[in-house]
Amino acid sequence: MKKILMPLGMVTVLALVPFVGVQYAGLDYLFGVLIPYLAAAVFLFGFVFRMADWLRRPVPYNITTTCGQEKSLDWIRPNKIESPSNPFFAAVRVLSEVLLFRSLFRNTRAELRKGPDLVYGSNKWLWLGGLVFHWSLLVIVLRHARFFFVMVPGLAEALDQYDSFFDITLPSFYVTDALALSAATFLFVRRVADAKMRLISLPTDYFPLFLIGGIVVVGVLMRYIAKVDVMAVKDQMLRLMSFSFDPPGEIGALFYVHLFLVCMLLLYFPFSKLVHMGAIFLSPTRAMVNNSREKMHVNPWRQPMKFRTYREYEDEFREKMKKAKLPVEKE
Amino acid sequence: MTKKLILTAAGLLLFLLAALYAFRHQESMAESAAAPAPSGVVDSSACIAPKEFMKANHMRVLAEWRHSSVREGNRVWVAPDGRKIDKSLNTCLNCHSSNRMFCFNCHMYANVKPNCWNCHISPMEAP
Repeated sequence: MKKILMPLGMVTVLALVPFVGVQYAGLDYLFGVLIPYLAAAVFLFGFVFRMADWLRRPVPYNITTTCGQEKSLDWIRPNKIESPSNPFFAAVRVLSEVLLFRSLFRNTRAELRKGPDLVYGSNKWLWLGGLVFHWSLLVIVLRHARFFFVMVPGLAEALDQYDSFFDITLPSFYVTDALALSAATFLFVRRVADAKMRLISLPTDYFPLFLIGGIVVVGVLMRYIAKVDVMAVKDQMLRLMSFSFDPPGEIGALFYVHLFLVCMLLLYFPFSKLVHMGAIFLSPTRAMVNNSREKMHVNPWRQPMKFRTYREYEDEFREKMKKAKLPVEKE
Repeated sequence: MTKKLILTAAGLLLFLLAALYAFRHQESMAESAAAPAPSGVVDSSACIAPKEFMKANHMRVLAEWRHSSVREGNRVWVAPDGRKIDKSLNTCLNCHSSNRMFCFNCHMYANVKPNCWNCHISPMEAP
């Protein structure tokens, strides 16, 4: 219980800090200018450092994890995607993992049902929930381009249009808001509902979930219920984009809660499990080409070893061995 | 098997009922809206609400006006100070169209596309 309540409390405190700071202490310069720059810098440098660090690590062995037939003799049909033998199919495999969560689609679940038999069954809920969660977040992030650019990129505009496709409520309701919230709820419930999942879940699993949930909830509140001045928000975002240090205009405190939580997410990103965003592209077991039967992979670290044969040993100690009446091979 | 059949039948029945209800509802609405509605006065001498409120909620006011005047035939909006005002875009535009860019300045900046001008003539297009 503590490992759920602690991250929840942390997110609550993180949300209250900017609210109190802006509402009662007038710290909008700190929360609107300084912390966003700091968070963006830490995120960029941290992320690049992480990636560079992992890219520099040597990968001497061919350690692909596959679940298909490797390419070998002509009359054995290879599984091109599951066991890629060239970089193109390796890229297809990585991208299908990134975009469609291919390996989660094969997720299974073992249960003891009525009696001693262990039953395995397909379990696609995690796949579906994760896919909805990640795609919604991507669309939401891209949609926010309308706050960051004077001329909004066409893609962001199109996403905005399709996202508010239902055209209900004013301002019009975004499908991804509802999807992201329900998916985050599902992912949380999934961890809590099952005793085994509860056991292996850590505070670091709950914290990002609560943080992202909090960001979405505050964003939804700002859009539909407790309005903030959108003009002032866009002014401020454009100022941040042009690296200006001018103070922000009059914006509601709720905006600073949203912004601060996003900054906390950026700060937390390079130091947590969230780096899987970049790491999935570098994972050797998944990104490597499986050609261990085509090519010889030699361990580049293998140093020529110094051996000492028994003959050399005997040459050195022969006289002493004879004295001690030990048998020798050569007189 | 029979359980599935019963469930399917029940679902279909429910759907039919809902569809019937929806259409009946729509028809009765159409009849009531056919009568010409009495309208208030186009009074554009003063804004209907304070600037701060309108800045955040103008879209809701307009949507509420559209809904109640078109669907329910109620065209008169009573201001808190007792003025009776015609629920019409003209009530706003009589004053605000003096600046052709009044709507567009902010809407283009924030990249929000209202659907007012799908039917109405916008101040920018007006001669």
